[in-house]
Amino acid sequence: MKHLSKIVMITMLLFALILTACSAEQMETNSEQINETEEVSRPTLDRAGNPIDVPENIQRVISFAPSITQVIDEIGLMDVLVAVDSQSPNYVEGVENLLQFDMMTPDIEALAQLEPDIMFVSGMSSAKGDNPFQQLIDMGVCVVTIPSSTSIEGVKADNQFIADCLGQHEKGLQINKTMQERIDDIAAIGVTIEEKKTVMFEIAALPTIYSFGQETFLHEMIELIGAKNVFENEAGWISINEEAAISADPDVILTSVNYIEDSVGEILSREGWENMKAIQNQEVYYIDNGKSSLSNHHIVEALEQMAKTVYPSEYAELD
Amino acid sequence: MMKIQKMKIWITVLLCVMVLIVTTGLGTVSIDPSDILSIFAQKIFGVNLPNSLSANVVSIFWTIRLPRTIAAFIVGSALAVTGTVMQSVLRNPLASSYTLGVSSGASLGVALMVIFGMTIPFLGRFSLPMVGFVFGLGTVLLAISMAMQLDKSLENQTIILIGMVLSLFVSSLLTILIVMSKEHLEQIIFWQMGSFSGIKWSHVFVLLMIVVPGILFLMYFAQELDIMTFGEEQAISVGIDMRRMKIVLITASALLTGTAVAFVGIIGFIDLIAPHVVRKIYGASHRVVVPMSALFGGAFMALADLVSRTIISPSELPIGAVTTLIGAPFFAYVYFNRRGVTKKNA
Repeated sequence: MKHLSKIVMITMLLFALILTACSAEQMETNSEQINETEEVSRPTLDRAGNPIDVPENIQRVISFAPSITQVIDEIGLMDVLVAVDSQSPNYVEGVENLLQFDMMTPDIEALAQLEPDIMFVSGMSSAKGDNPFQQLIDMGVCVVTIPSSTSIEGVKADNQFIADCLGQHEKGLQINKTMQERIDDIAAIGVTIEEKKTVMFEIAALPTIYSFGQETFLHEMIELIGAKNVFENEAGWISINEEAAISADPDVILTSVNYIEDSVGEILSREGWENMKAIQNQEVYYIDNGKSSLSNHHIVEALEQMAKTVYPSEYAELD
Repeated sequence: MMKIQKMKIWITVLLCVMVLIVTTGLGTVSIDPSDILSIFAQKIFGVNLPNSLSANVVSIFWTIRLPRTIAAFIVGSALAVTGTVMQSVLRNPLASSYTLGVSSGASLGVALMVIFGMTIPFLGRFSLPMVGFVFGLGTVLLAISMAMQLDKSLENQTIILIGMVLSLFVSSLLTILIVMSKEHLEQIIFWQMGSFSGIKWSHVFVLLMIVVPGILFLMYFAQELDIMTFGEEQAISVGIDMRRMKIVLITASALLTGTAVAFVGIIGFIDLIAPHVVRKIYGASHRVVVPMSALFGGAFMALADLVSRTIISPSELPIGAVTTLIGAPFFAYVYFNRRGVTKKNA
């Protein structure tokens, strides 16, 4: 029975991931339209495609995902935040003293009592299938869902969307402009690289190695720096079996695993991996977990770290 | 009758050998049978490898696939045999070591280790399996000793009830622990889903050293098991100390399951179906049922692992899902097919 419920839970999680991925893609075109209009109005659909009614005057904001809290921080509106999810303090300074809520099991009564003008939530909270914030919506709170984006364009659209909701359209444009400039700097060098190194990027370690194929922003980032993802024929986040990893034999192995101590050392000491190019040449590196996993403007920092790590001499000029 | 039984056993042994050949021969990376033979020749007799063979292919076969497949076979054997023994001892078709809390105990131990980031000196990467094992076995022993306090004659119902209550209690501790430290959630869930990924020769040796003697030990009690299935009164009348026998057999089973769970996480279903399937095919005598459970469970698990690592390669499916996915229809087939046959005969 326990197993059954676990399997059901995992299947549901997978479905939720697929669903959010689909809806995020559909939405990209939508928010681009918003960007193009000269007159800046508040968005009427959230990033999951639900109709929303964003109030004109926003004084009290709740952010339910660290990636969103970081964007609000970048916009410079930290003083309107009244509560965050319990993960946000690990990524953003200055929210430690705010009320914190569990992302998966939010206390609706306490949230309602805060009387927020707008509440930003990620796709994570609705992974169980139903919208856990329906009661708040029924009470008239503007609950805005922003599913995790799967592409860099999607990430930019998310940034702009959050800024627009908060009436900071210009600020959103500026964040994305800076982000794009830094991406362009990398891409300019990336396209000149002729002999592309092959890269395997682990986001979970043995025994359940997880990596990714296309349709992820990390895959785009590997290509931008002028490298080649060994799992480019796959799509989305995928578990990788050990045989596949060894036979892929990448030039470089990157890992963003931070739940074990010394994830680089663990990879270097794996039995059976010792004849791989990356292991023989000691080309195994850690990429900052927060910057590479949260979908917002900070991914450019991970992008720069990846560039300098994989091609130290090519990107030596980059500051 | 004896002849047919012998034939069945020989066919089973033959099938097991074939399963082992198939499961080691197939994988994400296809390796030529002749290359596999050269790898064996090199590892066992020191014959030089052909130059065409890349070092990575040798690693994939010898360091990754072979120990993994053998481990799957051993773990399957251990789970199937303990399922058989527990069902006979407790005279309950749904019983297994899991019922008495091996899995929840082991999960709790592993969660504690992961959350507090402990490693035991000298044990290194065996720390996690060791703690899982100790907690798993500990939970079962606690269940038995509590049952003994409550019920001197150690009735089956008491054991099962206490086992389930304790198991649920331990699970709730685990839930609380996980909620309190979310950042380790993934690692604990991954562990619980069960996997043969990452199993190396060192694990195989430990498994072999515990599981093989364990199965032989349980086989030694075949006659007692036969009598116990008839009922407690019968057993007592032929002079079996039921209390002592139960404690010995349950502890031995918990030891085997605990070892298996400690290395590969929680893999269900085999412990439940193997005994039923094996009894349908070979009859009720434990002298045959126990070793055949070992072979059937082993072959089944090796095949399930093959499916788990190849069907969506380069990805893997959780082994627990695969055993149930293949096992449930197979079980239904064996169960209803046989039932049909008996009806016709009658």
